Amino acid sequence: MFAIEVRDLVKVYSGGVVALNGVNLVVDEGVSHAILGPNGAGKTTLIRIITTQIKPTKGSVKVFGFDIMSQGGRVRGLIGYVPQEMSLWTELTGYENALIYAKIYGIESSKRAEVIEDVLEFMGLKEVEKRLVKTYSGGMIRRLEIAIALMCRPKLLILDEPTIGLDPRARMLVWERLLAYKKEFGSTIFFATHYMDEADKYADKVSLIDRGRIVAEGTSSELKKIYGVDKIVLRVVGDMEKARKVLQEFGFDVSISNNGEVSMAVKDPAIMLPKVIEGLYSMGIAVLEARVVEASLDDVFIKLTGKGISEEEERELIRDILSTRRMIRRGG
Amino acid sequence: MKTFESILALVEMELRRLKHDPIEIITRAIQPILWVTVFGIVMAHRVALGVQDYISFIAPGVVFQSATFMALAYGIMMVFERESGVLKKLLSSPIPRVNIVIGRSLAGAVRASTQYIIVLASAALVGAKFTSNPLLLIASYIIVIYVCTGFTAISILAASLMKTRERFMGIVGAISMPLFFASNALYPIDIMPEALKVFALLNPLTYAVDILRKLVLYNELDVLIDLLALTIFNIISLAIAVKELNKIIE
Repeated sequence: MFAIEVRDLVKVYSGGVVALNGVNLVVDEGVSHAILGPNGAGKTTLIRIITTQIKPTKGSVKVFGFDIMSQGGRVRGLIGYVPQEMSLWTELTGYENALIYAKIYGIESSKRAEVIEDVLEFMGLKEVEKRLVKTYSGGMIRRLEIAIALMCRPKLLILDEPTIGLDPRARMLVWERLLAYKKEFGSTIFFATHYMDEADKYADKVSLIDRGRIVAEGTSSELKKIYGVDKIVLRVVGDMEKARKVLQEFGFDVSISNNGEVSMAVKDPAIMLPKVIEGLYSMGIAVLEARVVEASLDDVFIKLTGKGISEEEERELIRDILSTRRMIRRGG
Repeated sequence: MKTFESILALVEMELRRLKHDPIEIITRAIQPILWVTVFGIVMAHRVALGVQDYISFIAPGVVFQSATFMALAYGIMMVFERESGVLKKLLSSPIPRVNIVIGRSLAGAVRASTQYIIVLASAALVGAKFTSNPLLLIASYIIVIYVCTGFTAISILAASLMKTRERFMGIVGAISMPLFFASNALYPIDIMPEALKVFALLNPLTYAVDILRKLVLYNELDVLIDLLALTIFNIISLAIAVKELNKIIE
């Protein structure tokens, strides 16, 4: 059985916007699975359908075999979910938030105090539990949300952009705890992200999504192997054009960047690099500096969709989220 | 029992918010205090409405004017929670959607019901006379919560349909004042023009004020018809709010 099984999923919003256009996806039990794609690719829509918030237009979704449409209640009982936006009451303390959610999730009163204590301890929030959430940092807010999602020991944890807007240290802390939880309970983690490195580092499997369709799937190294290309980047003494010609005669696809770097895609850069340097030397061109740039998921994405996940877009998205957070903290 | 617990959890959330930040209760109380003190006292000497003791007469009306306004404004929190992730989280939790609406309606009602104490106390200070039977006073308090549950449900419905803060506040403003004036809150129905009378009789606030007057002013228990009218109002508003809740996140 799969943790999540999505078949031919289509979602058309009432304004006619096609958010998902025939998504097929399976998430194996016990793995960490990322859905990676740019802003607006359909990640959040997919998550909102899986978590039974909104209905699909067409297609089916099963969570541990339960249909999200006909058995929504069962599905909700199995998942722990952290939305992209903040899901806490900022005028309450961290402990109170956990307490209210524990009651909403129906955790028995005899176990409640212990469960809350455990998760707050686990996420490193014990010292700040009595503080109002509006005084928390972004990282603390995220950790509290995850703590709350862990209270009922979900078999499936669904996270929408779990570390968006967090600094690298806070991101690392969040992921260290998530992976510790996964290891301890054998749970499945399904998360949406637009951070390449996050998918690369923390996901056992990655699905790339673009314009409402899954464009590729596999482990990060598989994807890089199939679609990615490693590169050799050189800095040469003297005539770059001559170097280009020589390298083209060797059969490489060469490009010269504005800062004077000569780069070319190669299959086995570690083996090819000495040969390239030797070849150039024999033609009287000295290499000043050489490095190997390994394929990234970003390259894979560019190869598949013709575009990267734009930095500008990302900054805008983060700005939006941070300003919403500030607004919420001020209470509007 | 579990079902009930999730509803109470939402009420508890509201009480805890109130404990940390009681400012709204105080700011909301200023206007009704002016109604019962200044307006009540001035009008008591100027007009003959066929009412013996005008301050006592309008106190229940002002209780509901203030409380229903707070209840009707409660939905703004749902608009905020729609922008934040709280609603998404609640909708994907095991709590049934009907409980989200009932729980939040009750939570908003409990918050709004604080006006009952403030208004009655300030009216009493300027000479209003109420029943001294504690059971009737407690029953009245419960009635206030009951009535405000329906009005909070209307507010949640408005939040689901309006979605933005500006439009939401607009609709709340458009509902609340007419509701107050087209009821028996400030004057008896008998002296109203016919057209207004029809509207007042369809206005749930009229029945709410009527119950409260009977209980705290006249020590009367003949409230069955009023309760029936308010129950119909509550069921309809809760049912529509539940039905339309899906729209809030689409």
